[in-house]
Amino acid sequence: MLKFLGRRLLIALPTLLVIATLAFGLLHATPGGPFDSAKQMPAEIQRSIEAKYHLDEPLWRQYLRYMNDLAHGDLGPSFQYRNTSVNELIRAGLPVDAWVGSLALLIAVLAGGLCGFLAALKRDTRWDYVPMFFAALGIALPVFVVAPLLVLVFAVQLRWLPSGDWRAGEFRYWILPVLALALPYTAYIARMVRGAAIEVLSSPFIRTARAKGLTTRTVILRHALRPVLMPLVSFLGPAFAGVLTGSIIIESVFGLPGIGRYFLIGAINRDYTLVVGITVLYGVLIIVFNLLADLSYALLDPRVRLQP
Amino acid sequence: MKSGLVLLGAVWLTACGGDPSPPTDAASGDIRVGTALAADQTVTRAVDAMPRSLDPSLLTDVEAQKVTDDLFEGLTTLGIDGNPVPGVAKSWETSEDGKTWVFHLRPDARWSNGDPVTAADFLYAWHREVDPKTGAEYAQSLAPIMGAMAIATGHAPVESLGVSAPDPLTLKVSLVSPTPYLLSLLADCFLMPLHRATIEKYGDDWTRPEHMVSNGAFVLQELVVGDRITLRKNPHFWAADTVRPTRIVYYPIDTIVQVSRFMAGDIQFSSIFPSDQFRWLKSRLGDQVVTAPYLGVTMLAMNWLRPPLADDTNLRLALTMAVDREVLANKIRQGVQQAAYSLIPPLVGYEPQVPEWAGWTAERRHAEARRLYAAAGYSAAHPFRMEVMYPTDEANRDLYDAVAAMWRTNLGADVQPYNEEFRVLLQDLRLHKATLFQNSWIGDFPDPFTFLQLFQTGFEQNFGGYSDPSFDALLASAAHEPDNGRRYRYFEQAEVRLNAQAAYIPIFYYTCRHLVKPYLKGWQLNIQDRNPSRYLYLLDHQGG
Repeated sequence: MLKFLGRRLLIALPTLLVIATLAFGLLHATPGGPFDSAKQMPAEIQRSIEAKYHLDEPLWRQYLRYMNDLAHGDLGPSFQYRNTSVNELIRAGLPVDAWVGSLALLIAVLAGGLCGFLAALKRDTRWDYVPMFFAALGIALPVFVVAPLLVLVFAVQLRWLPSGDWRAGEFRYWILPVLALALPYTAYIARMVRGAAIEVLSSPFIRTARAKGLTTRTVILRHALRPVLMPLVSFLGPAFAGVLTGSIIIESVFGLPGIGRYFLIGAINRDYTLVVGITVLYGVLIIVFNLLADLSYALLDPRVRLQP
Repeated sequence: MKSGLVLLGAVWLTACGGDPSPPTDAASGDIRVGTALAADQTVTRAVDAMPRSLDPSLLTDVEAQKVTDDLFEGLTTLGIDGNPVPGVAKSWETSEDGKTWVFHLRPDARWSNGDPVTAADFLYAWHREVDPKTGAEYAQSLAPIMGAMAIATGHAPVESLGVSAPDPLTLKVSLVSPTPYLLSLLADCFLMPLHRATIEKYGDDWTRPEHMVSNGAFVLQELVVGDRITLRKNPHFWAADTVRPTRIVYYPIDTIVQVSRFMAGDIQFSSIFPSDQFRWLKSRLGDQVVTAPYLGVTMLAMNWLRPPLADDTNLRLALTMAVDREVLANKIRQGVQQAAYSLIPPLVGYEPQVPEWAGWTAERRHAEARRLYAAAGYSAAHPFRMEVMYPTDEANRDLYDAVAAMWRTNLGADVQPYNEEFRVLLQDLRLHKATLFQNSWIGDFPDPFTFLQLFQTGFEQNFGGYSDPSFDALLASAAHEPDNGRRYRYFEQAEVRLNAQAAYIPIFYYTCRHLVKPYLKGWQLNIQDRNPSRYLYLLDHQGG
């Protein structure tokens, strides 16, 4: 187990190096720089700004400097938000995304899992058709339609909930963003769990269990649940990394101060450090959550052995 | 409601105690005696994006400028109508040639920590702005001041700037040439005073809420990147007794989202709304939707360094005459934008130089355009082919698809719209790679010069490389003319020259457009689209 972990972490390092290098290279290769504007400043001032951010150095030296800082956990200064470091931006924004994302995924797993399992158990009845109709709808409707619709109904028309803004600790500010983010995940998980459950419920070991005379409850809880959770776990790994780094649409519609939008704003403004920083963070999260998913396979399926 | 009555009493007090003659004019920002004000004077406003810096010397974005207008005050400041009024300077006089100005500072001007605001604070801020070591991207804003450009380009020491402080309450400014728009310029963030001790103590961190010392109507209370900027009233502000809002909250919100946040009552003053929602919003919100001319123009500029546009006046005239601007303004932009037939947006005292054909019927204009197009040697068999380049944007795509269609229908020309991301396009323009391209320009100050300089030989944003000695001579004459009326006549002649050559294809004038709650008062839309929070106040209202 420890050997497996150690090996995976060792592989992770070169992966991250490649991610950081690619992101750094691609951004610097894009035409235009962070301090370009329609107004051109005197060369002397341009030089002074470039010197401040080390943009006057040859690219290889900028790269080595960045990698050195990165190795020490320093993601550098943001180029667009003056006097603000990328670490600060992430420290301020990540908890918001993590909170909204975790709640959304939790709801998605509970609601989606339950609906999916129920649909599989009561296949071809209204318990199957109705939830699956809504699941299909949930997958088909993009977030940029669902989120403004929720705002229109619950904030503008009914005035039950705030249309946006963020106050940590105030429940009513979470409801709409969490709901908007949870809906497509719920729909996806419901369909996935239904498919997996149908397959598992018709497999020989379930038939054997039933033949032994076990109650439906025991069959489901002791035998069917764990294999059904397998595809869910492999889906949740990257999904979790995804919601932690924020949803651009959810953040802009609800005015959440998360980090997802920085990715877009940073790319448009050529904020090299901000974009590379968030890319690396995303890489780290993907690696960590995939690792966690692999570890939980071993817990869910006794046949899985973690090979170093 | 209870506290609402208390505040009503407070208004009475200031109205009676502060000024013996009761204020009468609501439009000037003064409140009529007896007006019921809301108990909570927290004004919520939107900005399009998170300001990139709140350092008045370093900022580059309109959003940051709106916030610093509330935090700092220059020698002059903005009146409710956007025109400059005395700020830290209570009075000033000018030399006969208009090149030397002496400002007398009010003795009661205070920093938010209680320190007096002195001439040395201006000296420090202006030196810092032009010092290349500061890295101020807009240092050129000080160009009218003697020596500023030599310092900014590293050719002269900072101390050589043409400004001095003979005593703590007097500031003497020497100008390169008479600058009638100086009073507007002085209200800009780049010329606001700075608190030296704070900046020297905290360095780059001085703009953080816990450190910032400012001299405007408000002080910075809280700043959460991507979330909000909260200001609270500055008790040391010299005119604090006229400022109603106790708190101002600026939310950075994307343009489209501002509409829903406004309708839900979260913001009272939007910074903008999407132009394609104008009619729908108007039908739903009525008078809460407000628009007014804004100091900006969208035009198509062209490359003057190579054919075919550079050497063919007939072709340029044909292209500009074949554009149906009213259709673009009324159909594509739903009447939000104003069709432009010339370069300079409406300015008081300036006679718009509209070409004669602007008043013709569409049929006559198209016929003449076709005649000129043919005279330039183009025909159905040999059409004019070109790409028109514009910065990537959904609204722009509709616009240039329509322009290209007009050229195809009215002339038979084959022009393809082509978009590039803004920074990529900018690089192409600097390398003179584009032949026909969008150039949008927002004036730095309300004066024709800020637009005409786009065609001045050697000006950095003259992306097309236009150069005409007679045009340059007219601008030079204007620069040395102390009388503003005569100066404007030179500018009018210069614009006529551009129009006669069809040196550009005007499309729209900008508009500022906002959603404003009916109970938010104390604002007047103006050509600079700057609405200082110090004049705002909230009437008593129920809900949102």
